[in-house]
Amino acid sequence: MPTAQVNLTSGFSRRYTGGRREFEIEAKSLRDVIKALDKMYPGLGEHLETETTVAIDGQIHDEPGYFQKLRDGSEVFFIPKLEGG
Amino acid sequence: MNDVAPSRYKFVGTRPIRPDGVPKVTGRAMYAADMAMPGALYGKIVRSPHAHARIKSINTEKAKALPGVRAVITGADFPDHKFEYIGPERVAVNFWHVSRNVMAKEKALYEGHAVAAIAAISKEVAEEAEALIEIEYEVLPHAIDVDEAMKEDAPLLFEDMITRGIEPPPTKPSNISKKLEFAIGDVEKGFAEADVVVEKDFKTAAVHQGYIEPHACSVRMDADGQGEIWSSSQGHFVVRALTAKLLDIPVGNLRAIPAEIGGGFGGKTVVYVEPVAAMLSKKTGRPVKITMSRDEVFKATGPTSGASMTVKMGVKKDGTITAAQGVFKFQAGAFPGSPVMNGCLCAFAPYEIENQHTVGYDVVCNRPKSAAYRAPGSPISAFAVESVLDICAKKIGMDPVELRLKNAAKPGTPMIYGPKLAHGGYIETLEAVKNHPEYKKPLGPNQGRGVASGYWFNGGGESSATIQVNADGTITVATGSVDVGGSRASMALMAAETFGVPYENVRAIVADTSSVGYTHVTGGSRVTFATGTAVVDAAKKAIDELRARAAMIWDVDVDAVVWEEGAAKPASSNVGDFKPMPLKELAGKAAVTGGPITTAASVNAGGQAPGFATQFCDVEVDPETGKVTILRFVAAQDVGTAIHPSYVEGQIQGGVVQGIGWAPSEEYIYNQRGQLDNAGFLDYRCPVASDLPMIEALMVEVPNPTHPYGAKGVGEVNICPPMAAIANAIDNAIGRRLTELPMSPPKIRAALDHAAD
Repeated sequence: MPTAQVNLTSGFSRRYTGGRREFEIEAKSLRDVIKALDKMYPGLGEHLETETTVAIDGQIHDEPGYFQKLRDGSEVFFIPKLEGG
Repeated sequence: MNDVAPSRYKFVGTRPIRPDGVPKVTGRAMYAADMAMPGALYGKIVRSPHAHARIKSINTEKAKALPGVRAVITGADFPDHKFEYIGPERVAVNFWHVSRNVMAKEKALYEGHAVAAIAAISKEVAEEAEALIEIEYEVLPHAIDVDEAMKEDAPLLFEDMITRGIEPPPTKPSNISKKLEFAIGDVEKGFAEADVVVEKDFKTAAVHQGYIEPHACSVRMDADGQGEIWSSSQGHFVVRALTAKLLDIPVGNLRAIPAEIGGGFGGKTVVYVEPVAAMLSKKTGRPVKITMSRDEVFKATGPTSGASMTVKMGVKKDGTITAAQGVFKFQAGAFPGSPVMNGCLCAFAPYEIENQHTVGYDVVCNRPKSAAYRAPGSPISAFAVESVLDICAKKIGMDPVELRLKNAAKPGTPMIYGPKLAHGGYIETLEAVKNHPEYKKPLGPNQGRGVASGYWFNGGGESSATIQVNADGTITVATGSVDVGGSRASMALMAAETFGVPYENVRAIVADTSSVGYTHVTGGSRVTFATGTAVVDAAKKAIDELRARAAMIWDVDVDAVVWEEGAAKPASSNVGDFKPMPLKELAGKAAVTGGPITTAASVNAGGQAPGFATQFCDVEVDPETGKVTILRFVAAQDVGTAIHPSYVEGQIQGGVVQGIGWAPSEEYIYNQRGQLDNAGFLDYRCPVASDLPMIEALMVEVPNPTHPYGAKGVGEVNICPPMAAIANAIDNAIGRRLTELPMSPPKIRAALDHAAD
């Protein structure tokens, strides 16, 4: 199973993970990441799905999608959702 | 204008005539205010004359008794919503706030705040009824300026507002809704390494999006609970969702039909009139139409934030930026939600700087609630950052473009919001400016040249499209994206390219909420990227179906059929001796091969590339009057692939024009009573044609590999550099650094009366 480097912002980590920001998670897709984090911190999955934009290896996805694929060593950042004009 | 490199595409990159042009120039296009529902009542919103007042009582009895009045409503008629922030941090919606912005309950929080609404048989009756509504206000002290609103003794808009984002939470309420902080590296270490450190304070004014078409809607709520909304917006799905939520009715009971839009620029991504018309319609059983006046648009719809900022940057003599720090305080207006987070994230994004720190404050004040405006937040922080960079360049004796090139962000550059930048394009815009023949041209007396850059994320997300192959082989493309900047043309071009048929054979429309899948707003420069991806996906599905139909006709396996240049062809000579079957022929056999060919695609598009822009302008300052004349404006922007280059140039020019307005003239001017003194285009000075030079749009094409045709968002980043470019040019012309927008003639005269820094 590939392993992803997962990062949360300080705001999310303060609110939901007791300050922990970095995780190594075995995951083939973003679904696996969200599931694993939700298992560690029940309820976090829904926050991540609804409150974040996700960057996978620098590529920004406005809406996290279960279908987004990860490779071994993928960098995943959950960042606050962005809004345009 | 520049012609982009020869295209590898047949239709993408061409400049066909816009499909919405004829109805618009002949006055036949249907805007929201043109809609006339049978039996419609005139809807009028009654607004607070006070900047800040407690609503002690509202007596509507006399107004209701007036003949011709069918309903009078107040905030009490709308369902209560729980006080909770729902959804994303930046765009978290608190419906307790949203409902009160649509119609005040306990307090009026700005001049123009809706406090009641009337449905009557005519405008005259509605105006007579307005005079009969008795409202008892307790006028309260107000706070307009962001620095004033942040003071400890400032009048509080919400007596229980505790700043979010501070641990432990403050014990005392304030007008600071939220504090945000982002950092990478160690700024103190970075500043210690610098040879030159520059720190400056800046202020920007609140400015309105300035769309020509005021907000308008017609709403019919029927006795069975279903309803229709016709309105002008940047997203009818969002209009439907917000109206349903505010009235507590199922989303599926509403159908929202998009009108043509006369400009939005972010300001029409929220609702003001639709829920009010819906409630009035519900009460009266009649359709209700509401059209805002220009006065109402200025006083009651969202401008973008004014701001107070401090930016500090350190550079080495060789031009390396060692550290950058910014404190950004944004007016949110009467309810939380300024674009300060975007300001913090975009501020230093064009640059690879090891040590960065930004702090943002979202501050409520007695102004209309801010709304999105073209790259919301980014132009504000860019004004400060790009001005400071210009000072740094002068101090180390380096050309401002060279300084930016030295530090330009590129793929792999760590960004302050966490990930590494995945896309390039910035360096190419700098090179385009550097190599422009006018960039090094000498200037005359009182003339100056200024350079600035900008960054914007661009957007992706949820979009839907359907494709119909008509019986004669023409194609109809329906999407859920309101066409603000030419998306019907670009959707048709991408569909034509995918099918391999002429552009003229493809017509694109904007479908209502019941006729196409969910599509997020036309905003964030997301439509060409996200909705375009949906269109291409739907077209590919249609091509697969067309191949299957040809296979059926030829009695071969579908894999033996390929699609090339608008026709089904055998994959090889082994398949059989079949002549290519064009789309028209296949469409004519649709019935016998399985019925109409209709496909749909919905996407959650990701991997959008950000936008980078670099611009330079030449100005001349009249030292007697302080008037600034812009002599030349050159705007380079990475546009990915220009799907329809004329529209792309239009976006670049439009963004620059709005920036040119923001720089020397546009501002909300409040009097001592907290009332807006310039709520009209006569006194709120947008630039007109005679204020503008020819704006030269330099399209730099660095295709986005995550889009089928390489598209990047092009609508917003162009508004980020102009204010700083003009400030830098003024400084270059007269040796005075203007740090407050607007840089109006009196301020320039005052600067000339003082010694230079």
